[in-house]
Amino acid sequence: MIALTLLMTFSAVSANAQSKDRRKSFKSWDNYEITTEKVGVDGTKFVKVWGFGKTVDAATMAAKENAVHACIFRGLPGCATAMSTPPICPNPNTLETHEDYFQTFFAPGGPYLAYVSMTTDGVPSGTDRRKVKGGYKVGIYVQVMYDNLKRKLEADGVARKLSSGF
Amino acid sequence: MIKKIFISALFIFLLLPAASGQEKVKEVVTSNYNRNSISMVTVLRGDSYDSQATSAVRYYKISEKFDLNSLKTRTVRVSKTRSEPIYQSEVDEVVNKIRFAPEILASIFNRDANGMMNDKTILYRGNYDAKDQDVINARAARVGTDALGELGHALVSGSYIVLTDFSKIERDTDQKGNVHWSTNAQAFAYKIGLDMDTLNDFYEKCWIYDDDTDAVKQEKRLAFQNLDIPMIPVAEARTSSSASKLEDAMNSCIGDLIFKLESRIPAWEVAVTIIGKRPLRAKIGTKEGLRNGDRYRAYSYTEDSRGNLKSVPHGFLRATEISSNSGMSIGETEPSKFYQISGLANIDEGWTIKQSNDLKIGVTAGLRTGGTGGTGIGIDADFLANTSNVGTMSYFMLSGAFDLSNADYMPIQFGIGFAYGFHLTRFVELAPYAVIGLEHIGYSSTDSSEDRFMRESAMLLEPGVRAAINVAYPLQVVAKAYYDVLALQGSTYKMYNYYVGHKSGLGFQFGVKWTF
Repeated sequence: MIALTLLMTFSAVSANAQSKDRRKSFKSWDNYEITTEKVGVDGTKFVKVWGFGKTVDAATMAAKENAVHACIFRGLPGCATAMSTPPICPNPNTLETHEDYFQTFFAPGGPYLAYVSMTTDGVPSGTDRRKVKGGYKVGIYVQVMYDNLKRKLEADGVARKLSSGF
Repeated sequence: MIKKIFISALFIFLLLPAASGQEKVKEVVTSNYNRNSISMVTVLRGDSYDSQATSAVRYYKISEKFDLNSLKTRTVRVSKTRSEPIYQSEVDEVVNKIRFAPEILASIFNRDANGMMNDKTILYRGNYDAKDQDVINARAARVGTDALGELGHALVSGSYIVLTDFSKIERDTDQKGNVHWSTNAQAFAYKIGLDMDTLNDFYEKCWIYDDDTDAVKQEKRLAFQNLDIPMIPVAEARTSSSASKLEDAMNSCIGDLIFKLESRIPAWEVAVTIIGKRPLRAKIGTKEGLRNGDRYRAYSYTEDSRGNLKSVPHGFLRATEISSNSGMSIGETEPSKFYQISGLANIDEGWTIKQSNDLKIGVTAGLRTGGTGGTGIGIDADFLANTSNVGTMSYFMLSGAFDLSNADYMPIQFGIGFAYGFHLTRFVELAPYAVIGLEHIGYSSTDSSEDRFMRESAMLLEPGVRAAINVAYPLQVVAKAYYDVLALQGSTYKMYNYYVGHKSGLGFQFGVKWTF
């Protein structure tokens, strides 16, 4: 009985700590590299983005999250053949204001996955798959359904429509 | 003063690791491989062998991994007798006198007599070189797959010329009247000294458009004639060969020279990533000149806290099943299969593999005991003929043995054979084999009859099993167990063997093997 109580207490503390960790990392989520590869087909952005994780799969998922995060909060840099893209939510307070929304949006297997497709041929490979301290750093090519993402955030009241200013 | 010295010392101390770090970054092996183009040029010496040398070089079939640039200049002349080899400086002098770079550009851009050029070859090569990732990227981009041909512009800087020279050509005739030719050969590889800036400059100054005025056209023709693009020496190789026909010896030399140059020019070594395991698979094949048994080395990558990238070498692997990919990529290239032959770590998906040519020849040397009798030295050479997905390997063997315990009669064994290896793991190979040959017992004698050798010999059959264990690839320790059968003994052999005492029997050999 004592053992069961201890186990339950430990589980509760652990879950709470994980939630706090995630919340903390969510706010400091800015440390990743992203480059625009080329002009994407209509309504999409074609980027190369890096992610970190304990395994290659986890790093790949992190890279996908980063790609969507960049479209929403950071914007995309330009390249030789493409102009830079401003963020969907340029207001720096958006994340704090809608934190619960984005916690759900970026949850594992969350809605963000509907707006990003990996276009890397097979698994991240070659110099795009690096063993680093604590795990792997991978670079993947992704296509972000930028226009759809923007429409979704506007519909959910997170991003402002262009017409709302008039 | 002391302060200055201290600051200088500190500066050097801080600079050295940085320089060393830069060196390491340069050494990173990557999977970036693009097709190269070459032109074969013959070095003439002004003698009767010139035509054969030219013919051998011109008709040599170059590996499919290269595109060919057809140049106006296919021969160069070096004034030196063929009995002497030529040196790099002499070839440099000749190459600098000829405008090879403009010839290469003229070939790639199909330049006609009026100076008009087109990009048909470039677009074709760009499409042909495109990998699956390029195709997928192009589909995700607005420009689409029609733009894949543009990749061809980057291939221009991968243009090479290979000058081949033959020297010391000798003709020998043996007592039976059989003719043997032998020749030495050298190859000198040069790369076009062209980067993207120079190429853009070339487009701007030399590309003639239909609507250019006559004056502009003339100006661009002149600019082309005055192009000053160097050819940079990148590698040299030497070899020699002999055959019953000079053409065969020359052909053999050219093949060997290209093989050696491949190992000395990193850009010629095919690199690709592993896309799957069990069996290991990678998207290369006939287009890259891949053949069964070709050896590759695997690399993974690490990044330190400062962001420095490092390629970490792992084990070797051999190509087993070659895919026919000689066509334009549509994003679904069929991969070739490989078998890992060394390395502690299992080669993983996403790792880079890079061509690491070897001769596929293993040489074993060891001590023998038993067999026909006595203690001696055994030396075998085997040539890897085939490798399969499950690690079975076929070898052709040359076998030799010397009985050191009967030095007066010098009994030797030699034969040819076949071995079929099974890999229990990648570290351990068990290969049943069979050798057929002769055991010869020689003794100083005035007998000069033609059949003397056969009378002093007996037929030898040697079935056996060879076990090889990787120590530090390509070094292996080898143990052999075999049964020597002596048959059809010659009359003199029988007489000598009365003193030597060789007979059929079980034997063992222990030694080491090195694969070249």
